[in-house]
Amino acid sequence: MTRKWVAYSRAALTAFEMSLRQNIMDGFIIFTVLIQPLLIALLALWMLRAESGDQAIFVVVGSGMTGLWSSLLFISGNSITGERWSGTLEILVGQPTPLPVIVFGKNLAHVTQSLGSMIIAFLLSSVFFSFHLEVQQPLLFVLSILLTVIAFVSFGLIIAPVFIMNPGVQGWQNAMEFPVYILSGFLFPIALLPDWTTPFSYILSPYWAARALHGATTPGGTASDILFSLAMLVLFSLIYLLISSYLFRKMLMKTREDATLGFQ
Amino acid sequence: MTRAFRNLRIFYQGALLSYIALFAWLRPITYLASKVIMPLNQLLFFTFLGISATGRDSASFYIIGNAVQITAISGIYGVTFSIGGERWSGTLPYLFGTPANRMMVFLGRGFFHVLDGMLGVVVGFLWGVLLLGLDLSQTDFGALGLTILVTTLSTSGLGLLMGCLSLITRNIMFVNNTVYFLLLVFSGANIPLSILPASMRAVANVLPLTRGIAAAREIIAGAGVAQVRSLLAGEFGVGLIYAAFGYVLFRWFEIQAKRRGTLEDF
Repeated sequence: MTRKWVAYSRAALTAFEMSLRQNIMDGFIIFTVLIQPLLIALLALWMLRAESGDQAIFVVVGSGMTGLWSSLLFISGNSITGERWSGTLEILVGQPTPLPVIVFGKNLAHVTQSLGSMIIAFLLSSVFFSFHLEVQQPLLFVLSILLTVIAFVSFGLIIAPVFIMNPGVQGWQNAMEFPVYILSGFLFPIALLPDWTTPFSYILSPYWAARALHGATTPGGTASDILFSLAMLVLFSLIYLLISSYLFRKMLMKTREDATLGFQ
Repeated sequence: MTRAFRNLRIFYQGALLSYIALFAWLRPITYLASKVIMPLNQLLFFTFLGISATGRDSASFYIIGNAVQITAISGIYGVTFSIGGERWSGTLPYLFGTPANRMMVFLGRGFFHVLDGMLGVVVGFLWGVLLLGLDLSQTDFGALGLTILVTTLSTSGLGLLMGCLSLITRNIMFVNNTVYFLLLVFSGANIPLSILPASMRAVANVLPLTRGIAAAREIIAGAGVAQVRSLLAGEFGVGLIYAAFGYVLFRWFEIQAKRRGTLEDF
């Protein structure tokens, strides 16, 4: 049992490393992870007329979250589809390591690299705008980042098989980006939205991630509120992992039955 | 007369066929997602962000700015597909092997995207009225229609230049995405130009959309064509300059590629 998990960990880490190496010079990924969040941070800093470090750190976290979500949607969402396009999906499915382990490693790479969005927004605010940025609760911030990564990786394990089973759903990718920015309260409070949208916010793990991160970085965030948000992140991660295990089984069965591992 | 008719035919048929064959978002689901739903979501996001920043009374500033900015989706992405698609489809040698008038071939690439872009802006304004309470009661709709046409033409001019860049680089989507977001920042769609540093206002003045958005705001506040004609003339001029650069690049690319034998070279 232990040897199996050691082997799976090694495979996931290899997929992680390979994905990072492949992505580092991909123009689309550089745009999604670095350029777009930078420009959104620039927009938000000017739109919000940010005058204090507290407002600036809010924008840093919010714009970083936009990079995280866009990366999850466009890059992690294509982690299985991309293998099909490359002609390597059949090989991956045919080898002993379960496909979810490989996709987990890839998603971990995508989410980890997209943390660069927050770093780039931080540099913009502190260097270009000369804001003094301070994280109010550093330990809870670090914990929030870790659980955000886990939650997003888990969410990616749902999106990837859904996209490959339903190419029609993938056609909606462009339309799925901004709704999560809006409903998750990345850059403005969801209290601005109509009341009927609130339940939709609550079922999105990015909302709880944003709530935890904003709470840990800005004044006014209480430890109890942050810990509640983190508990919700853990809960959603577990739910996503359960759903994803079902989806991967279904996806593998369907693609083998339809003989579409190699093409659409 | 025969030559004029032939050129017109090349213009129209090239426009139609490039739109149908090379516009990657023309499938119903992708069109709905990318040209109707995504612009709505963008409009909502920036309007709520703006309301959060400057209060509900300023909502119309963001709605108008983002509704007009929607034309950049067709103007940049659509036109780029219609030019760069020739390269990706492997039909560039055939295109440049013909004796067809290059100006007609080039300008025709943007024609249907201008119409599509105008439709996108109208849909954006409809969303603004229906969902966000945009008040158009003071609007001269003829003037607004003219503004939408001129702004779409100028943005397509930039798109024609971007399309030619797609003939010489593989990372055109990176460039397109960056330019699209730079337009969101510097065109005045979301940030009043008066609060930008002087150097960035200078950038805004050489971009399409800047004057068109300003004109649209004035028209919706009650102005007529006479009050915004200098803005519209400037907007058109900017687009013309971009289209001219694009045409020069288009011809240069053809000459160089034929000289070096690199028409099919990726």
